Amino acid sequence: MISQLLKTLRDGDGFEAALVLAAIGYLLVFAAFPLVYNIVMSFQEVDMFSLASFDRPFRGLDNYRDLIQRPEAWEILRNTIIFVSCSVVFQLGLGFALALFFQLDFPGAGAIRGLFLAGWVMPGLVVGAIWKWIFAGDFGVLNYALHSAGLIDKNIFWLSDPAYALAAVTIANIWLGIPFNMILLSVGLAGIPEDIYEAAELDGANRWQRFMSITVPLMGSTLGAVISLGIIFTLQQFDLVAALTQGGPANASNIAQYWSWQMSFQTYEISAGSVVATLMIAVVVVVAAIYVRSVQHEHSA
Amino acid sequence: MKRSLLTGVAVVLAALYLFPVYWMFVTAMKTSGEIFQYPPAFWPASPHFQFRAVFASYNLGRYIWNSLLIATGTTAITIVLGTGAAYALAYVRGFAVNVALFAILMLQVLPPSLMVTPIFVAFNQVGLLEWPRVAVVLATAAKTLPFYIILCRATFTQVPRELRDAALVDGNSRVGAFLHIILPLARNGILITGVLVFLQSFGEYVYSRSLIADKELQTATVGLSTFLGADANDWVGLMTYSSLYVTPILLIFVVLQRRIVSGLTSGALK
Repeated sequence: MISQLLKTLRDGDGFEAALVLAAIGYLLVFAAFPLVYNIVMSFQEVDMFSLASFDRPFRGLDNYRDLIQRPEAWEILRNTIIFVSCSVVFQLGLGFALALFFQLDFPGAGAIRGLFLAGWVMPGLVVGAIWKWIFAGDFGVLNYALHSAGLIDKNIFWLSDPAYALAAVTIANIWLGIPFNMILLSVGLAGIPEDIYEAAELDGANRWQRFMSITVPLMGSTLGAVISLGIIFTLQQFDLVAALTQGGPANASNIAQYWSWQMSFQTYEISAGSVVATLMIAVVVVVAAIYVRSVQHEHSA
Repeated sequence: MKRSLLTGVAVVLAALYLFPVYWMFVTAMKTSGEIFQYPPAFWPASPHFQFRAVFASYNLGRYIWNSLLIATGTTAITIVLGTGAAYALAYVRGFAVNVALFAILMLQVLPPSLMVTPIFVAFNQVGLLEWPRVAVVLATAAKTLPFYIILCRATFTQVPRELRDAALVDGNSRVGAFLHIILPLARNGILITGVLVFLQSFGEYVYSRSLIADKELQTATVGLSTFLGADANDWVGLMTYSSLYVTPILLIFVVLQRRIVSGLTSGALK
């Protein structure tokens, strides 16, 4: 019995099954279990005192009700929507423009394009530190540049002015997301056969017509994947907020994922932190399902 | 002529984009008086390095050591568990495989900032927070493992099935075919993906910040964030810290750039 098991593990289907099960087992313990535990805690009363206890009182939907009655909840929801939509629109727009530009045939295109990814490999916290210095009110280089260009005549206090704090975090996040968008879109562009364009050119279609009638439709599934990945990465963004504004001033730049962490680790309202985390993860899972679908669609097409 | 003009435009675009990285290095080379000059100088009057002083005063050695330990542990777990799984998922087909792949793709997108609450509470209950760096490694590996499996699987699908089948006919066991035939052929992909995992976990922040209480055990990201408070004004020191921390990362990136780009793109869209 045991020797048979060993034999199938070494030289049968058991070998592949064991390899997959080892990884899946790890993920069940350290990813799937926390996921479920999170949902459970969002219905329980969890604070500093019941933290270590296994037997915590259930509160039903009360945690959810308390959360939406907080005055800051709607402001943070609004911030999150602005943060995500602006990030995705500008990352995609600028990334697409760069991808199209680097698609032109010139010496060094591939190598120079690769340089853009340098921003992507740096730790988010370091990127946040650099931007904090660029955004500095009195001595920041961004204010200097805007001054010289004649766009402002008074320094903007990007990080401490509630009117600008969210914009500052969003700008830094757009910077971080551009290279990834550009590279993925470049791959999609490279997959469009050249002769389609040539045929359209012979038919007298101009550049714009060719872009709208060939590039955009054929990029459909790539665009779907890139947009959903952009949303997912933006919803994962934590380091930039931590480095730049910590959600301040007065929640002006706070977003849901940072708020969840603040409640769990700074004010120890762990139930409330779990509620936000549960709701946000639900959003992420829906977006991820769209992503997987569009990738599979592309794969089979 | 026109084509070299385009190269010029491309260089300008890249320079504009990389300005923040340049600004970090330039600021690190200025004196603390120089950075508060107006207008700001785009090149230091005389380059001024304070690597040693910053290294000592910010306790950088300790922080980088902790980051290295955590990145090494995370990468080891990820490669050991992930390589075999990626191989099996590339070679076996069927409904169960599709389900497993879908689950792995889903786990890849879970934001650490939202997963850290249940992980903290559960680790606290079972006593894992007694070893905070181990706790961070275990939590981070759950994030990097799906990423690694998906990218590595793309590598394995490029190794022809026939090679494995031929090895089996020749009398190799499945373990033998995997270890001696397939693994060597997929070596490059495994290496690059491993480097990506290492770089990611070397810059990890949320889990380290939340699970490590002892200052002596914290990572370089957490160290940086504590110096970044609202009253931060030693920008020369902070940018020197940042430069020392990211220069090795950027060097690895420049050396492996081509392969990183192709490895990344093959995984995200397949």
